[in-house]
Amino acid sequence: VQRNILLQRQQSDREDGELVKKIQRGDQRALASLYDRYAGVLYPFSLRVTGAREAAEDVVQDVFVHVWGKAGSYAPQSGSVYAWMTAVCRMKSLDKVRSTSQKKQGQEMKGVPHQSSQEGEQKSAQPETIIAMKGFTEAARNSLRSLSKLELRLLELSYYEGQSQSDLARMLRIPLGTIKGKMRRGIQKLRQVLAEEAV
Amino acid sequence: MTPKTGERHTQLELCIPYVFGRLNPGNRKQFEAHLATGCELCKRELSELYEATALLPLLIRQEAPPPGLRQRILSRISSRKPEQARVERTPASREGRESVVTPATRPPRSWYQYAAAALGILIIVALVIFVNDLVGTTRNQERTIAQLKGDLQQQNELASILKAPKVEIVSLSGIEPGSSVYGKILWDSSSRKAMLQINEVPVTPEGKEYQLWMLKEQKYFSIGEFQTDSTKASLLKVIDLPGEVNQRIEGFVLTLEPKGGSPQPTGSIYLRGAR
Repeated sequence: VQRNILLQRQQSDREDGELVKKIQRGDQRALASLYDRYAGVLYPFSLRVTGAREAAEDVVQDVFVHVWGKAGSYAPQSGSVYAWMTAVCRMKSLDKVRSTSQKKQGQEMKGVPHQSSQEGEQKSAQPETIIAMKGFTEAARNSLRSLSKLELRLLELSYYEGQSQSDLARMLRIPLGTIKGKMRRGIQKLRQVLAEEAV
Repeated sequence: MTPKTGERHTQLELCIPYVFGRLNPGNRKQFEAHLATGCELCKRELSELYEATALLPLLIRQEAPPPGLRQRILSRISSRKPEQARVERTPASREGRESVVTPATRPPRSWYQYAAAALGILIIVALVIFVNDLVGTTRNQERTIAQLKGDLQQQNELASILKAPKVEIVSLSGIEPGSSVYGKILWDSSSRKAMLQINEVPVTPEGKEYQLWMLKEQKYFSIGEFQTDSTKASLLKVIDLPGEVNQRIEGFVLTLEPKGGSPQPTGSIYLRGAR
């Protein structure tokens, strides 16, 4: 099963790479294909960060326009297309939050119930909008169960809300050293998911 | 610069805060300068971290974007050309910050940017027209106000003449047979102000103007020149009487003189009135 997931992921990365090459040549259908693969992940991701549907729509638009404009700069050896898009989406979402102050820490999302990843994992209906990622997503979810609640929470606050480690220490009243250690371990476990996949 | 085997690479510790966007500007710049040296260790570390953190969004319950978003994106890119393959993308540029701040990597302008520019120009032109119109209107209003002020001042002067304890009046009539021109002149000797009122006065011919004379001791004294136009069938004017005004005023005449006036009446007499 693990080998199948690995093959599936490698295949997906290759296909993404081909799509980016076509985008470099001005193929709009390739961008549409990339949208079909990842918009279903990027939209709720941005929604999670911005807390506003309109803002999330803007961000997803900006991400794909960015990919269209910057496809020529993409280098496969630097990472997967998906990781690149995710990083762009995170940066643009946080910028959106900073510029509009649409979200405050601890505030519930407008019209979107606040959802931690573990809750989402249990509730997930998972529409098949990213078939290419499906197997990998399931593997990642299973493997991420090794993360403690605190480790996952720290990663989420830092990743989705841009909280610094010292902010987290103050907010959660946990020593900074503990925060750093927990986050490092959480990231190591995330990396372990990828390492196990690659075995 | 990639460190030698066994050497501790301190920059690696900056990779996690860098990926989470938590490096201060100074450290970030320093770290990016280090990446620019081509450190394979840090590049690999960053790549793995980006891949690892990209797992987190997979844990969020997926949700289809709103219908129409796909088409809006395709419309947005339809007039743009994608960037051609060129240099290797560095981890620092992974988040695309350079694309935001570096003019050299600014994406090509799209139709809506040109439309926005055209709209901006239209707005500016409309504003210029509006301002010009406003200036014109303001000038017209200023003219009207000045005219009204003049009229008001004249009315006040007329009122002061009429209120004077001793006002004298002389009727003026045309001397030509069948002439319809008529008028009157009132004056207050104490203030030496006079009011001239004429009806059915013909339009002043080109190069000419009307001149009003005061007759005193068989001598004519000019008390003002004026013109009439086709817009007014009557004329009302306040005049300052010259010199000493006393009982010796014998009458008034209105003549048509060359433009600029004459020292003595030379033209035909239009109106005449005697005390």
